[in-house]
Amino acid sequence: MKLATAAMLLVATTLAACGGGQDDGAKTSAPKAPATIPELTKDPLTLSFIWFDWPPAHALEAFANAEYKKERPNATVKVNTVPNANWHDAMFTQFAARKTDFDIAILDSQHIGEAVTNGNILDLTDFVKKNIDVKAYDPYLLAAYGQFPQAETGKRDENASLYGLPLLGDTWTMIYRKDLIGDKPPQTWDEMISVAEKCQANNPGVSGLAFHQANGSDAAAVTYNTVNGVYGGNLWDAKKRKIDGVLNDAAGHEAMDVLVNKMKPLTAKGSGNWFIDEVNAAVAQGKACIGFNWIAASGGLLDPKQSKLGTTREQILDKLGFATLPSQKTNLVPLGGMGMHVSAYSPTANQAEALNFMQWFERADVQKKWAAAGGVPSRTDALQSPEFLNAGPFNQVYTDSVPRMRDMWNVPEYARLVDIENTGVNAALNGAKKPKEALDDIAREQQGVLDSSNRKGGGGL
Amino acid sequence: MSDPIPVPTDHPGQVASATPPAPGRSRRRLGDRGLAVAFISPALLLLLGMSVFPLLWALYLSFTDYSATRGGPARFVGFGNYTAILTSAQVHQRALTTLIYVVGAVALQTVLGFAIAYLISRRTHGRGLLTTLFLVPMMLSPVVVGLFWRFMLDAQFGVVNSMLGSLGLGQVEWLTRQRTALVSLIMVDTWQWTPFIMLIALAGLTAVPRYLYEAASIDRASEWFRFRTITLPLVWPLLLIAVLFRAIEAFRLFDLVYILTSGGPGVSTETLSFHVYKVAFLGFNTGTASAYGILMVLVVIVLTQLYLRYLNKLKED
Repeated sequence: MKLATAAMLLVATTLAACGGGQDDGAKTSAPKAPATIPELTKDPLTLSFIWFDWPPAHALEAFANAEYKKERPNATVKVNTVPNANWHDAMFTQFAARKTDFDIAILDSQHIGEAVTNGNILDLTDFVKKNIDVKAYDPYLLAAYGQFPQAETGKRDENASLYGLPLLGDTWTMIYRKDLIGDKPPQTWDEMISVAEKCQANNPGVSGLAFHQANGSDAAAVTYNTVNGVYGGNLWDAKKRKIDGVLNDAAGHEAMDVLVNKMKPLTAKGSGNWFIDEVNAAVAQGKACIGFNWIAASGGLLDPKQSKLGTTREQILDKLGFATLPSQKTNLVPLGGMGMHVSAYSPTANQAEALNFMQWFERADVQKKWAAAGGVPSRTDALQSPEFLNAGPFNQVYTDSVPRMRDMWNVPEYARLVDIENTGVNAALNGAKKPKEALDDIAREQQGVLDSSNRKGGGGL
Repeated sequence: MSDPIPVPTDHPGQVASATPPAPGRSRRRLGDRGLAVAFISPALLLLLGMSVFPLLWALYLSFTDYSATRGGPARFVGFGNYTAILTSAQVHQRALTTLIYVVGAVALQTVLGFAIAYLISRRTHGRGLLTTLFLVPMMLSPVVVGLFWRFMLDAQFGVVNSMLGSLGLGQVEWLTRQRTALVSLIMVDTWQWTPFIMLIALAGLTAVPRYLYEAASIDRASEWFRFRTITLPLVWPLLLIAVLFRAIEAFRLFDLVYILTSGGPGVSTETLSFHVYKVAFLGFNTGTASAYGILMVLVVIVLTQLYLRYLNKLKED
């Protein structure tokens, strides 16, 4: 036993000595994609995506196989899905292995920084310049889904590099019960709380509000960020890389107070771990007056098989209304959705196919077809098209919300920052921490992560 | 020229060996030692490749600031990672959560497992069927168990609250309140792993010699006296080994936390293993995560050694 321990220590010391004293070579950059699409293979080829398991993932696979195959009969599109909570891990553990079983990663906008600095995805700047009409997009959406470093001003920097192209746009919609609160949706956040309070009091068994509170993925964090935004708060000072003192300023604390002390009491008991599915279930079962959810995940609400609000789509729509989020001090809404990014470790033939798919997907006619198939496009012409606006009752909400969007911090440390915020907000919502204490802890811990990101040595707790 | 005269021998093999091998081809039969090496080496190589090498590699990484995603060379940071972990308030909090969980779950499982085993051992009919039924939860995957109980314990739509409601009791927020969330984890783990303790205890109870009970009944010893002086002392060492196994398993708890609470509310059910996962995969701080893992292994080894010494002392006494 002693001998084995000594041997292990000897090996460890030797290896450690070998690794010591080396310079910081961790800074890598993404490899460049060719400006023109290389010659495509004529052999059968499967183009693999990775996404999390939700309706748009299945819609994408069906849409791509129906439409893309018309142009590339030898190509089959496969959208691999994982549970939402594993999405980041599933992509980045493969990136860590420098080998992926997917060709196109559908990254959250905040994941781009981590993937770019690690050299995991292709730099598409030259490809985009040559093949994509960038003027056709809202500049903020193009920046959010592809640009790094991110445009914190909300405007796309034309000189910045692009690493992705929009796949699915998204934001929150307010879902309200027209039969319980009337046809006119509340216009301000305070009014919305008041209406929800009254609705809850008048309808026993129905809670006033339903929103995301879980501590997995970005659930609770987006909820806080949304309230923070409408009450005039900021998530950070991007130029100074300062979170502590900015997130938890007076506006931030007011937002946390509104969330925990005014909104939380209007939610169902035990809803502290609710995310997309639970909010949809509460609305569909008639147990919430007002709910907030991602537009791309709201399609199921109109399915009579899943709803107790009616036996037909029309009956459900008589009771459900969809509106843009109320404003308060500002009118910000959260940016959702994702872009397509080509894996740097995908075989050359598949990378070529991926670029060809992206060029095809971003065409105006295809974007309109994608909109009609249930997707949420990012091209302005598609957003304004009847194909999109008539495809769902919440699509107008998205089009109206685009100029109001705000994203989170798009930095390589995103995964840790969002985890800190999720657990902190979740703790406040479930009584494990006082709201003020929770927000101050979040700001302090997040600042610690930002400050330690360029520091030498270990860390990461 | 006459043929060579064969050398007489008792062993046919020696006849064969007397024939000179073809030039350039030396054929040696494997001896016992060679055979042993041939049979063991595949398993040994597998063990070295799958266990020993990763352990040593993790040990090496634990002294560096290496990140699996960022790549680049690993930079030696000495005991920096270990110091950061041992002095971290976050780690202390997770250690306390883990300790409460381990003590709570293992104590409950031991009491229940032994009680069930004791009751089953006294039955003459249907013992096999009962034992099999009790073992079912242990056979299920922890992920399945976690999902199953997540639905059962849901405050709004769960069966447990529905039953409580039909009894006129209020709703309990099983998974979203600080205290009940940890209690729920302990309950679910107990549901799954009590059968393990029961199985070991049953084996111990079955092995108690009958003549001891017969002698006690001749002396008109009470039921409690027989339990206290015969059953418990003889089953106790075996039970302690079961407790050891369960404690090690509970210390490494990850899957149930991941599925049932995701460590929430806040971080109140975040165990050490779950925290290591976050360090390793959310920030990809591979060096720190390696040090964390090594420390956890060391804690288990040290505590196990102390426990085994106690067991040996018990045996000697």
